[in-house]
Amino acid sequence: MPIHQISGCIGCNACIESCPTDVIKLDEATQKAVIQYPEDCQICHLCRLYCPVGAITITPEKSIPVMVSWR
Amino acid sequence: MSDSKQKGLSRRQFISAAGSALGVAAAGAYVFNQMDFNKPPISNDTPMPPSTFSVKHMESDVLVIGSGMAGLFAAVKAHDAGAKVTMVSKGRLGSSGLTPFAKGIFSYDKNTSNMSIDQFVAKVTESAIQTNNPVFTRQLAEHSKARVEELKEWGFFDSPLYNETFSRPINERGIPLHQRVMITHLIKENGRVVGASGFSLDKPNLIHFKAKTVILCSGSGGFKPSGFPVCDLTHDGTIMAYKIGAKVTGKEWNDGHPGSAKNSGSSYDNWHGQIEEKPQINGAEVRHDLGVDMNYQAYKIGPPITMGPPPMGPSGNNPKRPEMTQIKGGPFVPSAFRHRAAPPPEHEGGILALFSGKKPGGGPPPGMGGEQVGGSSAGMAIHKSEGLTPINETGLSTIPGLYAAGDALGSHMSGGIYAQIGSSLAGSAVQGAIAGEAAAQASKKISSVAISSSRLRDIEQEIFAPLKRKRGYSPAWVTQVLQGIMIPNFVLYIKKERLLQAALAYVEELKEHHVPMLIANDLHKLRLAHETENMIITAEMKLKASIMRKESRCSHYRLDYPKIDDKNWQAWINIYQDEKGEMAFEKQPFGTWASAI
Repeated sequence: MPIHQISGCIGCNACIESCPTDVIKLDEATQKAVIQYPEDCQICHLCRLYCPVGAITITPEKSIPVMVSWR
Repeated sequence: MSDSKQKGLSRRQFISAAGSALGVAAAGAYVFNQMDFNKPPISNDTPMPPSTFSVKHMESDVLVIGSGMAGLFAAVKAHDAGAKVTMVSKGRLGSSGLTPFAKGIFSYDKNTSNMSIDQFVAKVTESAIQTNNPVFTRQLAEHSKARVEELKEWGFFDSPLYNETFSRPINERGIPLHQRVMITHLIKENGRVVGASGFSLDKPNLIHFKAKTVILCSGSGGFKPSGFPVCDLTHDGTIMAYKIGAKVTGKEWNDGHPGSAKNSGSSYDNWHGQIEEKPQINGAEVRHDLGVDMNYQAYKIGPPITMGPPPMGPSGNNPKRPEMTQIKGGPFVPSAFRHRAAPPPEHEGGILALFSGKKPGGGPPPGMGGEQVGGSSAGMAIHKSEGLTPINETGLSTIPGLYAAGDALGSHMSGGIYAQIGSSLAGSAVQGAIAGEAAAQASKKISSVAISSSRLRDIEQEIFAPLKRKRGYSPAWVTQVLQGIMIPNFVLYIKKERLLQAALAYVEELKEHHVPMLIANDLHKLRLAHETENMIITAEMKLKASIMRKESRCSHYRLDYPKIDDKNWQAWINIYQDEKGEMAFEKQPFGTWASAI
């Protein structure tokens, strides 16, 4: 998983707004952020850095193996 | 949340991919994990009906599209020149596009620099093998210090995160800001741009922005490659401008950033956490930083590839890296930029130039520790070398009223090569400010603009189209196929006619057959659908421009035409739509300006 877990969310929207690739959405029922499109995470950590309560953990592996120009 | 269960690829779709387009790439390397196999195929049984959308209208003198460094200065300077400004961004002010990851900014100070502006421009031109537009090179040096001083006042150098800093001047001026709105269309009436349209990523709102002038600060883009934080940039601005008739340039150049072989999908880890550092100022030091050379090494001798002292020119050898002596040929490096003396320390070698502030004694630069893989920025050209063709030094495009700045403008500020550390960020600030002021002045001469309701209806139909299709192709799958075609090093990095033509056949198939069948059932996938189309048209441009340029120069390397051809190719390539709507190409000699259409 790339963005792995949101734990202790206060529903401030900072991660949703700061994610360049629209991975995180607000759950209307719970008013907390949820990881909705993990396959689009570019693992840039902006969400984690903007989160005011340190709720986000991220791992360095993509959920889908990636295409590179050689391997 | 039920929607999230509809993502991913079916086994049938995967097998189809492996058997067709991915055949041109390394099909065996491209395997999806179990999580994706287990998901049902995408269907549009429960589509999002366009009737649920609200249509909103906004109006301003100047519309700034994009909220990175170029957009910040475009909005501020247009406002300060007396214009009513609106800013719209697919992301968030200062935390989308490439701006949040850029940590070095060039500031030329004539009082302390060891070279004059004339010397600086001449040295960049030598490094760029004449591919730069010296007007923009000089403009960068002349204006960079003033922009850096303004950034200091706004607190830019005090924090590694830029949203708060960027918000200060925007909020002080009361500039309306629409974030998380994807602009998909520029609007042209009577030969000039009169606005733009798009949709919100958060709620079903379609928004039409009417404006007297528009400044594209929408960055460049890639093919959503891995290991480089560029996945939100998909050449949206360039392609929507192309579709209303603008000329675009620079598509044959390539950014050659490698990534780490370990966790190559993680841009944060590739960049060694550089995003958590505060930005720094860089003085003048002209370089010749490629990246394509590493693809050449990989192509000739095979992986593993590690960073180290660069080769000492085409005929040189390198005692510290004996494998280099096997490599003949490759991208030409001007003699003044070959490392004849002792190679620089490892952390200063290669193409660290792009964003980094220097880290004396620090670890390796972004993406350059340990074994390397290529293509982490695939689809992106050298900063400032691709985008709208300018007709003058203000960044005015070939469409009246339409300006561009930063990576959306094909200014060729340092040509098809990286020549100066920190110039990417500084160039965006400088060009944004100049375009902002020019757009504000131009807006004063226009009393009002009108947009026909039929044009707005047509645009709405095009925006909604992927939502209305009952069946069709997932944008994520089409993008993965595109990556399989375009990212391998024998396509865009080590170019030759046969493979460029082969890749083009696949890309044309995607454009003609699959783009008209892209589907979306929510706002996120609607964004992906429009982004996917923009990437596919960009891929067609890159392949056709690469086929046309039958020589090698800077970051464009042709294995079948490895030499510089000064007789035929002292020219940039403009791409535009001809009267039949076909993609057309023309040479524009270095040192000349394009004319308005």
